[in-house]
Amino acid sequence: MYAGSLATVMENGLGPAYSKATGGEYQGEAQGSLGAARMIRDRLRSPDVFISADPAVNRNVLMGAENREMVTWFVTLASSQLVLAYNPESKFAAKFQAASAGTIPWYEVLQTPGLRFGRGDPRTDPKGYRTLFLFDLAARHYQRPELTGLLGDPINPDQVFPEIVLLARVQSGQFDAGIFYRHEVVAHKLPYVSFPPEINLGDPKFASFYAQASFTTPTGERVSGAPILFTITIPKVAGNETGARNFVRFMLSSNKLLEEFGLGAVDHLVGGEIMQVPMELRSLSSGKYEP
Amino acid sequence: MKRSLKPTFVIFGLLGGLLLLDLLLPIVNLLIYADWSSWMVALREPGAGKALRTSALTSAISVAIMTFLGVPLGYLLARGRLPFQRFWMGLVFLPMVVPGLAGGILLLLTFGPNGMIGKPLDSWDIALTNNFVGIVLAQLFVSAPFVIVSAYAGFAGVDSKLEMAAATLGDSRWDIFRRISLPLAWPGIAAGITLAWIRALGEFGATLIVAYNPHTLPVYLWVRFESNGLTGALPVALLLVLLAAGAVAISMFLSHLTGYGEGVGVRDYIPGRQT
Repeated sequence: MYAGSLATVMENGLGPAYSKATGGEYQGEAQGSLGAARMIRDRLRSPDVFISADPAVNRNVLMGAENREMVTWFVTLASSQLVLAYNPESKFAAKFQAASAGTIPWYEVLQTPGLRFGRGDPRTDPKGYRTLFLFDLAARHYQRPELTGLLGDPINPDQVFPEIVLLARVQSGQFDAGIFYRHEVVAHKLPYVSFPPEINLGDPKFASFYAQASFTTPTGERVSGAPILFTITIPKVAGNETGARNFVRFMLSSNKLLEEFGLGAVDHLVGGEIMQVPMELRSLSSGKYEP
Repeated sequence: MKRSLKPTFVIFGLLGGLLLLDLLLPIVNLLIYADWSSWMVALREPGAGKALRTSALTSAISVAIMTFLGVPLGYLLARGRLPFQRFWMGLVFLPMVVPGLAGGILLLLTFGPNGMIGKPLDSWDIALTNNFVGIVLAQLFVSAPFVIVSAYAGFAGVDSKLEMAAATLGDSRWDIFRRISLPLAWPGIAAGITLAWIRALGEFGATLIVAYNPHTLPVYLWVRFESNGLTGALPVALLLVLLAAGAVAISMFLSHLTGYGEGVGVRDYIPGRQT
């Protein structure tokens, strides 16, 4: 089970590559990270491997006694960053191109009347609350407090969509633009505008700046801005422990392939209890993850 | 001969019973699992009430539209001696069997702000998706066929001798429709409308794509499931099951009035059958 945004990366890239390299069977299921983690905790799914789009999802939903210790460790797998993807046939495409070239600021394009842009739902999707962080940080970075006003309410019904619906809307031109992860946009071959590293949540160097932004989920979990990190783990309920270890080992040794799909390579750091990480995987990690 | 000794019935009963396990156990399980007091609290949340109102209102509008437009279409199909009649019936059936998600994508491409219909309206600032209109469009797509098909079956089942007798007495087509065909076919049509209503109320796949907001009950169920997990979703699931049970009961009762027994409206229709 893996974070929904990785669907193309997993189904067209790493899943088949794993089967080819090891002969092991691969069967993936894409779900929003939060939703997937809750399904594992509620015993509705028992995947061998779980890849989340946010270390916080492991800590809040799967780790600890209150979550029946479904997960005791995780390893950071890859990074990504937020980008502003647009439909190349949008009537505002020229403006997006100019923003991409740096001749006009991206937020001026978004302020254009009549332009429609969408984002993830912060209640169900880490990308949703990360987009809130992006605008919060942008307001600080550019010293333009009015930028958060571009979003309206955190769950503004005109902007907020489930991941896959938003992608369909931008691809089909129903929306001009949307905030996505870079690897999604690369997978779907949409043009995009990059944000500076101070606000794109893609650079661990700016972790303390990112941390100034925060959001409280409907169930009362408070999440703070942090670099976008995908993590991989083997839940307690895994049925095929050997297959799971093989798959995780393969994933942790596939940085090049991950980069081809628009993700960023990271040091594989262990969160949670390092002694619980299977021996053969521990050697692939290079330290402890400190949020 | 005693009924219980007929081996065919015993074997059929066992086979059917296995299937019923799959149909009914999940619902029984839900009722056993139910934590009534805390669930009632969950259903009093403003989001739940809003979703219930959205669902009730949009499904009522959908049912009104599909009745007003679908019953005449059913009559036309049954009595109009249309060319290519099987083809038209097939078309009516199509949305019933297309998966909701696929339907939603097709609707979005047509009625979305960049769609064939949506685009010209968008320049007038009229939106057809992500609002009540979008929800109604999705509900019509998946549930109107129930009304059309039950109307077709109802009108086709009316004894044409009665209609001919009225015609020889000088009644116009409209009079025959109004005074004979519609009253005789109505209970079956009403049963089909009830089914269409619950289908509209439960519509998820197409609605999610066309109108994520405002949330209908099924979309709200999904959001709760994603954001609050099982405990958040179960009360809403229970509410939907209870509504569905009510609708099925009404539909069965209306079918009973037709004198056919326990059919539920579309029972008498066999795809492609000409009457």
